[in-house]
Amino acid sequence: MTVETSTTNTSGFDRQRLRDLATGSVTSIAVTLIAVIVVGLTWIGPNFLQASNITIIGTFVAVPMLVAAFAGFALLGGVVDLSIGSMVGFSSCLCATLLGWGWPLGAAIPVTLVACVAFGAVNATAVVIFGADTIAATLGMLVALRGVCYLMAQPSGSLAAFDANFYAFTNLTVGPLPLLFVIALVVIIIAAFIVTRTRLGRHVQAAGGDDRAATRAGISVTRVRFGALLLSALGAGIGGVLYVGQLGSASNLTGTGLEFQVYAAMMIGGYSILRGGVGNPIGAALGLLVVAGTSNILDVQAISPYFTNIIVGLLLLAAVLLDRLRGGDAYE
Amino acid sequence: MTDATTMAQSASMKQPEGLRTKLPSGWGTAATVAAAWIVLIVASGIHRPDFLSHQTVLAVSFTMAIVGILAVAQALVGMSGAILDLSQPTALILSAAVVAWLLERGVPVPVVAIAGILVGAAWGLANATIIVFGKLNPIIVTLATNFIGGAVMFLIFQNAQAPLKSGFSDFGRTYFLGLPNIWWPMVALVLLAGYLVPRTRYGRHMIAVGGNRFAAQARGISLRKTRFAVFGISGAIVGAAGILFAASNGPFAPAVGSTYQLPVIAGVILAGVSLAGGRGSIWLILLSVGFLSTVPTSLVFFGFSSNWQAVFQGLILIVAVAIDGFRAKRLQR
Repeated sequence: MTVETSTTNTSGFDRQRLRDLATGSVTSIAVTLIAVIVVGLTWIGPNFLQASNITIIGTFVAVPMLVAAFAGFALLGGVVDLSIGSMVGFSSCLCATLLGWGWPLGAAIPVTLVACVAFGAVNATAVVIFGADTIAATLGMLVALRGVCYLMAQPSGSLAAFDANFYAFTNLTVGPLPLLFVIALVVIIIAAFIVTRTRLGRHVQAAGGDDRAATRAGISVTRVRFGALLLSALGAGIGGVLYVGQLGSASNLTGTGLEFQVYAAMMIGGYSILRGGVGNPIGAALGLLVVAGTSNILDVQAISPYFTNIIVGLLLLAAVLLDRLRGGDAYE
Repeated sequence: MTDATTMAQSASMKQPEGLRTKLPSGWGTAATVAAAWIVLIVASGIHRPDFLSHQTVLAVSFTMAIVGILAVAQALVGMSGAILDLSQPTALILSAAVVAWLLERGVPVPVVAIAGILVGAAWGLANATIIVFGKLNPIIVTLATNFIGGAVMFLIFQNAQAPLKSGFSDFGRTYFLGLPNIWWPMVALVLLAGYLVPRTRYGRHMIAVGGNRFAAQARGISLRKTRFAVFGISGAIVGAAGILFAASNGPFAPAVGSTYQLPVIAGVILAGVSLAGGRGSIWLILLSVGFLSTVPTSLVFFGFSSNWQAVFQGLILIVAVAIDGFRAKRLQR
C-alpha cells in the first residue's frame, strides 16, 4: 500500500506516514512502555527511575539497541538474519583474540568488522543469490558461528582482552545515561530518519513490502537485500566489539540468545520477521526498552528471570495479533 | 464418500507442477543425499578403517532415532504449508518430563506412554488453537510458545530423569537385531508416514493445503480442520519422541531440547521437503537424517574436536537450503 503511494506521490506519502505513526505500532509500543514505567513506579517506587537504575537499564540495552538498528534494515527489506546472536559472539571472540595478540585497537576493530561482514556476505549469497529460505539459512550460520566461538575460546571458554582506554570509553556516562546508550539512541534516530525520510529507506521498504512491485519500479531488490544482510552483520560486529570493551573479555557464550531477545523486542515494536516493509527503528528501541524495563522490575523484586521470557512471549503474541487486527497479513 | 474422494483427487490434481516434478526431483534428491552419505562413509573408512564398526553404527543410529522422529513431525508441518514448528524443543522435553514424573510415581509403562503422546498432541493443538483463531503465522506463534513453555519448564524443574532401574530405561538402552531399540520405532514411523501421506485422503488434503491453500479451500477442504489435524498429529509424534528421549537419556535439563532443532530442520530440508509446502517425500528422511547423524561420528574419526560439529552442521544447513532455493528458482522459470 505505502509502496504505491511512495512511488507516485511523495507528499501524500509523508502525510500517510504521520497518520501511520499516530495509529500505528510505534504508538502502541509507546503506550506499553508507559505502562511498564507505571508498573515500575507503583511496584518498586520512585527508585525505579533513580539515576543508578536508569544507568543499569541503559548499560543493559545499549548494545542490543545498536544491533537492532542495523538488523532492522534486513527485516524491513524482507530478509531475516537469525545469525546476529552468534555474529556478536564471533566478533567478541575475534576482537579479543586479536587484542590478546597485542594488536592495537585501531587494527583489531576494523579487521573484526571486515570478518563479520564477510560472514554476512555468505548469508547474503545463500539467501539472495541462491534463493535459500532466509530463516533456515541464517539459522545454519547461527549454529556454525557459535561453533567457531567455541573453537576460538578453547580451552578455557573465555578470552581476556582488557584495554584500559577502551574500557573507560565504553563505561563513560552522560549524566545518568551511559555513553553507549546515547550513541545507540543517536544511531536509532539516524536509522529512523533514513527509513522514513530518504530515497534509500523507501527503496528498502519497497523491496520488503512487495518485491515484484519494487522490481517494476526499477529498484534492485537483490542489491537492497544483499546490502541489508551485510549491514545487519556489520551491526552485530560492532555490538560484539563493544561487548569486549564493556566486559574486558569475550566468552564462547557471548551473545547467546541475543537474536531472540532482539527480534522479539523488534516484533513487539512493530517489525515482522515474515513480511518486510513494516517497522520503524524507534519502535524497535521502544520494544527493547519495554523488555529491559520488565526484566529490570523482576530483577529488583528478585523474581526469577524466566518470568521475563513468559511476559516477552505473551507480549509477542499480543503484538502480532494487534498487527493483524490493524490490517497486517492474516494467516489461514 | 465418492464425492469426497473425487474432491480429494481433483484437489491433488490442482498442483500439476507438484505432481509432474515430484518423481524426478525426489529421485534426484535421494540420489544426491545417498551419494553424500556414501562418500562420507567411504572417506571416513579409508582414513580410519576402524570407523567401519558396529560401534559407529550404534552411535549413528542412536542419534538418528530422536532426530528422525522429530523430522517426520516437522515435515508434516512443512508440507502442510505451516513452514516450521519452532516449539518442538519444548514439546519434546515437556513430554519426556511428564513421562519421567509419572514413572517415578509407579504408573505402568503403557499408561505413561499414552500420556507422553497425549501431552505432545495437546501441545500441538494448543499451538493450532492460537494459529487458527488468531490467524497468526505458525513460525511466530511457535517461537512465542517455545519461549513461554521453556520458561515455565525452568520454573518447575531444573533436571528430570526417568527412573534408571526400570524396564523402561532398560528398553531405551538395549538393542534389537544389533540396533538400538529406539531406532526401530523411528524407522517404522518414517515408513508408515511416508506411505500414508500420499495415499490417503487426509494426507492428500494436507499436501493440497500446503501447495495452495486457497485452491484447496475452494475444493471444500477445511483449512481449520487441516491445521488442527496437522499440529495435533505432529505434536503427538513429538510426544512419542519425548518418550524415547526419556528412555535413552540420563538426567536432562529443559534447555537440551533446542540442540535438536538444527539437525531436524536440516534433515527435513535435505529430504527435499519444501518449507513453502506442498512438496516432499517423508521416506527420504531416512537418508537425510542418516547422513546428518553420521557427520558427528565421522568428524571425531577425522580428529576434529566435538566443537567442530556445530560448524559443520551449520554449514551443511546453509548449503542445503541454498540448493533447495536454487532448485525452486529453476522450477519457477
